Amino acid sequence: MSNEHHHAAEGEYIPETYIPHPETHGTKTLWKVFFILLFITIIDFAIYFIAPAGLGRNIVFVALGLVKAVLIVGIFMHLNYEAKFLRWMIALPAAVFISYLAWLLLLEGSFVSTY
Amino acid sequence: MSNSATISPKLWAGGRSPFNVSYGKLMMWVFLLSDAFTFSSLLVGYGAIRFSYSGSSTPWPDPSAIFNHFPGFHGFYLPLLFVSLMTFILIGSSVTMVLAVEAGHRKSKAEVSKYMILTIIGGAAFLGCQAWEWSQFIHEGGRLDTNNFGITAQGYTHLHEAGKFGNHFEWMAGDRQPGPVPFASLFFIVTGFHGFHVLSGVIINIIIWLNVIRGTYERRGHYEMVEKVGLYWHFVDLVWVFVFTFYYLI
Repeated sequence: MSNEHHHAAEGEYIPETYIPHPETHGTKTLWKVFFILLFITIIDFAIYFIAPAGLGRNIVFVALGLVKAVLIVGIFMHLNYEAKFLRWMIALPAAVFISYLAWLLLLEGSFVSTY
Repeated sequence: MSNSATISPKLWAGGRSPFNVSYGKLMMWVFLLSDAFTFSSLLVGYGAIRFSYSGSSTPWPDPSAIFNHFPGFHGFYLPLLFVSLMTFILIGSSVTMVLAVEAGHRKSKAEVSKYMILTIIGGAAFLGCQAWEWSQFIHEGGRLDTNNFGITAQGYTHLHEAGKFGNHFEWMAGDRQPGPVPFASLFFIVTGFHGFHVLSGVIINIIIWLNVIRGTYERRGHYEMVEKVGLYWHFVDLVWVFVFTFYYLI
């Protein structure tokens, strides 16, 4: 096992100062993601004026927002390329707790409106 | 080493990073996860309060009735245009940030510096846009404790007739009345909290950029600090995606 850190002895692992060797994936994917994000925003803009306001349109907006989020976190924040444990440690709690909170509180909000 | 069955137990047995990241980067991810919960609480709270106004005598205002201005086009009905420009600016500064990170992997000091300057300019431009958006809303009477955008039935009829994209549009007497106060206060709190993240991101970016041009990371042998501030910067962009969706689109 090669160690990139200069202060550590060869093969010695120091948690506080360990830096893995950076891997570069080139800029092609990054520009592609940039143009996809731009395109989705233009689609959002178009749908806003074409489709009538309502639940269907809102679902499309949230779905497109989630696509943008996956691209930003996966490619720009590099999470797709990280170790499997790190990917799940970040993605799973966020997905589970945020959707649970949204479900509970939106239900509560709807109830308050009828009260 | 090629057999995953023999690697798995060793992954957590010490002597290596199970996540194969540095301590600082792992902690940045943990911080961003907690920050994601903070922002989701604010946005879900916004959703709950908005839902609670359905069927109310003072309905939640349609965002296009309020955020329909563009600098230099006073009095024209241009909903979503300015905020889309803000989104473009932030996406643009995100791609320059990730290009700085990529240049850092190749240890190209000049390129890291160039892309970080572009990112800082993008962030500052976004903050300028947000200042304009706030001043516009405050100018029209939006306050933390006041919202004069309770659009009446007459107001919506007027908006649907005269409010065509690019048309001249002015409110008439009787179009507006005091509306739900949380609309204004949550607008200031959520966009303010996001804007404060952008501001601190710009400041941290400037500090890291100064370190880049001073050769701190060149001497250190790696540009991991650029990666860490990059994670923070992309997170700010990520939050904006949802602020844009829930405040302006829906």
